[in-house]
Amino acid sequence: MTGYEYYKPKTIEEAIKLMGSLEGARYIAGGTDVMVLLRQKKIAPRCMISLRNIADLTRIDIKDGLRVGSAVTHSAIEENEHIKKRYSALNDATTHLGSRQIRNVATIGGNICNAAPSADTACPLLVLDARAIIAGPKGAREVDLDDFFLGPGSTALEKDEIVKEFVMPPFDENTGSAYIKHTRRQAMDLPILGVAARITISVKDESEVRCRDMFCTIDSISNILSRLKEEGLKCEDARIAMGVVAPRPIRAKKAEAALKGKIVSPELFEEIGNIAAGEAQPRDSIRGEAWYRSEMIRVLTKRALIKAIDRVIRPDEAIYPERLW
Amino acid sequence: MKKELTFTLNGEAITAEVDPKWTLLYLLREVLDLTGTKEGCGYGECGACTVIIDGRAVNSCLFPVMEAEGRSITTIEGIGLKDGSMHPLQTAFIDEGAVQCGFCTPGMIMSAKALLDANDKPTEEEIKDAIEGNLCRCTGYVKILDAIKSAAGGR
Amino acid sequence: MNNLTTVGKKIPKRDAPPKATGSAIYIQDLKVPGMLYGKILYSKYPHARIKGLDTSRAEKLPGVRAVVTASDMPANFRIGVMKDNPPLKAGKVLSIRDEIAAVAAISAEIAEEAVSLIDVEYEELPGIFDPLEAMKEGAPLVHEEAKSNVLKMPWKLVCGDVEAAKKESAYIVEDTFSTPWVTHCCLGTSGCVAQFDTNNNLTMYSNTQIPSLAQNDYIDALSALGLKNRRVRVVQCVIGGGFGSKLDTYAYEYIAILLAMRTRKPVKIIFSREEEFFATSPRQCTITKISQGCDKEGRLTFREMEMILDNGAYTSWGATTPSVMMLPISSLYKVPNIKYIAKCVYTNNTYSQAMRGYGNPQATFAIESSLDQLAEKAGIDPYELRLKNANEPGEITPQRFKITSCGMKECIDEVVKRLDWKGKKGKGGNRGVGMASLIHVGGGARVYKSDGCGTIIKMDDFGKVDVFTGASEIGQGSDTIIAQIVAEVLGISIDDVNVINNDTDICPWDVGVHASRTTFVAGNAALGAAKKIKEQVLEVAAKLLEEDPASLDIKNGVVFSVKNSEKTTPLGKALRKVHYTLGGKMLMAEYFYDPANENFDKEFKGNLSVSYAYGAHGVEVEVDKETGQVKILNYIAAHDVGKAINPLLLEGQIYGGGLQGIGYALGEKMIYEKGYLKNGNFLDYKMPTVKDVPYVQPVIVESDEKDGPFGAKGIGEPGLVPTAPAIANAVYDAVGVRIKDLPITPEKVLKALKEKEKGA
Repeated sequence: MTGYEYYKPKTIEEAIKLMGSLEGARYIAGGTDVMVLLRQKKIAPRCMISLRNIADLTRIDIKDGLRVGSAVTHSAIEENEHIKKRYSALNDATTHLGSRQIRNVATIGGNICNAAPSADTACPLLVLDARAIIAGPKGAREVDLDDFFLGPGSTALEKDEIVKEFVMPPFDENTGSAYIKHTRRQAMDLPILGVAARITISVKDESEVRCRDMFCTIDSISNILSRLKEEGLKCEDARIAMGVVAPRPIRAKKAEAALKGKIVSPELFEEIGNIAAGEAQPRDSIRGEAWYRSEMIRVLTKRALIKAIDRVIRPDEAIYPERLW
Repeated sequence: MKKELTFTLNGEAITAEVDPKWTLLYLLREVLDLTGTKEGCGYGECGACTVIIDGRAVNSCLFPVMEAEGRSITTIEGIGLKDGSMHPLQTAFIDEGAVQCGFCTPGMIMSAKALLDANDKPTEEEIKDAIEGNLCRCTGYVKILDAIKSAAGGR
Repeated sequence: MNNLTTVGKKIPKRDAPPKATGSAIYIQDLKVPGMLYGKILYSKYPHARIKGLDTSRAEKLPGVRAVVTASDMPANFRIGVMKDNPPLKAGKVLSIRDEIAAVAAISAEIAEEAVSLIDVEYEELPGIFDPLEAMKEGAPLVHEEAKSNVLKMPWKLVCGDVEAAKKESAYIVEDTFSTPWVTHCCLGTSGCVAQFDTNNNLTMYSNTQIPSLAQNDYIDALSALGLKNRRVRVVQCVIGGGFGSKLDTYAYEYIAILLAMRTRKPVKIIFSREEEFFATSPRQCTITKISQGCDKEGRLTFREMEMILDNGAYTSWGATTPSVMMLPISSLYKVPNIKYIAKCVYTNNTYSQAMRGYGNPQATFAIESSLDQLAEKAGIDPYELRLKNANEPGEITPQRFKITSCGMKECIDEVVKRLDWKGKKGKGGNRGVGMASLIHVGGGARVYKSDGCGTIIKMDDFGKVDVFTGASEIGQGSDTIIAQIVAEVLGISIDDVNVINNDTDICPWDVGVHASRTTFVAGNAALGAAKKIKEQVLEVAAKLLEEDPASLDIKNGVVFSVKNSEKTTPLGKALRKVHYTLGGKMLMAEYFYDPANENFDKEFKGNLSVSYAYGAHGVEVEVDKETGQVKILNYIAAHDVGKAINPLLLEGQIYGGGLQGIGYALGEKMIYEKGYLKNGNFLDYKMPTVKDVPYVQPVIVESDEKDGPFGAKGIGEPGLVPTAPAIANAVYDAVGVRIKDLPITPEKVLKALKEKEKGA
């Protein structure tokens, strides 16, 4: 292996400048993907430009929404109580990615910029309406995350550009989100597929949801949905995103539209699952068969949505009956 | 191409000549002869190479050596007590039968130590979270969990 | 037996402190002065003709000390059980793990680069990857010189009259089951260092499980290489996991020897994790047709099995696993009439080897799944069917196994009680219970002409003991068990016993760590040697104390008279007396224990082991009917171990074996597509993590085996034998679908549920 020089810029500007001036350079953040590619000899950079030591990239800011620097580690996100509560889907993803050791160094920017269809944080960021703030030689720009992914390993980033941070709007107390990662093992695994959902709900006459206790039982999803229907629980807004079922993480926009403004019911959720499955193009791979992935979109879309609803109804409850999720 | 690097290793300041393309694991094992840290896969998928960097468990096989500059790094060789006796986690692993072939043991102990240093009364779930990236083929993990619980309880 | 001081106690492993502190030296950690690093070039294709091979670019790379190819190996030198595997291949490659060339260089990095500079021109040939295809008339031959792809290893066992028994059976079931390749996943990868001295004697640093047999293999290799009459010394480093993977010698070891010979330097070859996945030999995969029957009362009448084993391109121990499969096939439960035929078929896939259980998990999966089918057909509770047909002490089975101690019924009862079988069986709600039993060799296994192990004991002037054993410590704890036995016999503290086990120059012969035999065989050898030296010590002490040796004993390192407790002497004093005397001598004892078991006769009958281990596993699962995922809620693993010499280590074997079994049942599979391994890494090969561990309750049943050391039997392998069928049976009880092809993936469960729905 021919070696490389290793640069550790302290500012974004310095990093971009280095990238522009060095031959065969490559950015590296946590390195959990780059170091693997190196060992597999899939890349042979002449220079590495580390983003790990740039203070501006490692901040989490919770004023007026959420801003997460691209070099923030998964562990740092996982440990942020505000994110856990208000941006739960992102917490779900960061707590289930790789292992403790990986999460301690792997960054959200790395996870997104690799643009793997299986990137765990991609679906949550999509449903949380994230935008990527990009810095580059020509200045800063913003890209909606839905426009960021172009295909496997391909993003909207242009030459020498860096994602500075991800920005998400504030969500009120009637909004909840969740990400379900479907895996073969309970740790150290890539998803067979992943589904994230965000939902904003309202209840008739703004009364309390009376069936909240049902969520801590092992009752079936359809029974819970029937009760919610009786109480007139309405979906004001929704986002659904899916990973590993298309060349890039995608939104299920038709399913979102079909859900918006409706009173939830078992039939509706069944339909939403089917619509979402129709929006995917899963393939067979050693990690999962296409038919199974399609089938699981139906199941996990329902489950992600109901988990998101649960987080609105029982914001402080940590008990989830295992059978349900 | 060699670069000089200064960092804290097992509590002592150290300066080492490194090639920037090395991983931290390479420096530890091949240059500094600290072979207690193992390489089980080289891809961050088994945890045998786990060390503690600034308080956090990290796979040293994926850690670029140049990032060690200025950091505090602890390996299995550096966790014994000042009087020469073993760390309570090491004693617990031995006494509870958590060691079989032993190849995963140093990494497992380092993951557990990172946990206990931050949280001295972990729940079983928290212990599992801490060692989920450490594969063991011999023990079925049960006695490893017992050992970590026992070390935590004994503090 | 009631006043044991060391045996039966939870004593921590002797080798744990160096392992827990990082000071233990594994083969990975070994550096020998002047050492070079070897690296192997493997085939790019599973089947191809080598049209050109050019190593010149590699040879020119600075730092390269040797490049070797098949032309450097003796033309007719072959390794493996059937001697069908040249360590370096010429002409044709038959699988993706075929070794074509190798390099020795001054660093691992240069060796790796040099390998990438070797140019091979291939003509890709169509391969044969399905054993059923390979068996067809006119199928292309994997080995051109052979007449057929079916290996000349005809496994056939016939006991009684199966056809007649079929006619008399009230209920018969028939089905087909299959199991995949799974691999050992030793955390420490394979490796060795080969070093010659000036007289061309070889020292091989290795992590073999069979030091004595490997020594023999290496001596053969040296002869083939023109070095006749040389000494070979095998030194084992601390071994990072075995599970059967190191029960044969591999091509890389011979390549290291060749490179060391060429360069006159020590050469180290260590496998990368990728190599460990594709270039070591997994557990044999199988396709099994099984038929079983019982009479109206539920007494088993016959069992008939036909098995196809994908042998891969070469032959190692995987091809001989039918010999052990015969054990459960003929003797798991009382079955009077047996017929079993197995065929191993060459393909262009990887070749198999031994892995914990040695065929037993595959056979037991078919037998115990089928038994539940039979119970259903006969309308009998599967538990009652098992109990009714359970083995018993004193029985001689159709294959002529003599059942001595047998705690099978106790194990089944423990499972039923602790699982609340009667309360939970058939209760629905997507939850279900299942069970399966096991029989395995528990008192050695006479695979070779000898099943023995030698032990030497020497005592020093201070009452401390060195035990030289042939047994290998691979993490299972044999050192500790041997030390406990010796300490118990000699009446000394275990801390005064030092076990030396890793050097063929010092240690006596042993057949190897296999067949769950080490506690039993090496334990008995240690027991014999300890008793012998104790006699000598007591004789000396008797003179000193002017007592009859028969009235003396040792406790806490002090020799005392049982008749007169005033009469004592410290052990050290007695020992010093032995040689601080004119005409003195050294106290040493040797003992070779070879159990009174039998090789199979030509019909594969005979008492393979002097005792048999039993067990039963019970499991409660919940199936997610929407996703097909299976969750284990409770797991009971009851094992008849004879006597627990060290319950701490014993539980470790049960937990560890159990989780390997759960991996086999629910997730592990080496995915081979057209001869290529698709998931050769820890991310895609689903070995269980700590998050996948269910609640497991080990239950130890002690049946006191008369031939075992302090009553003990083997427990190394049994922990994973009945796991897969117990889980498959529980899934069936939960949701009514039976998965007959391991592993039981969510896809298979969901597909079966959907088909069941359609059918209903």
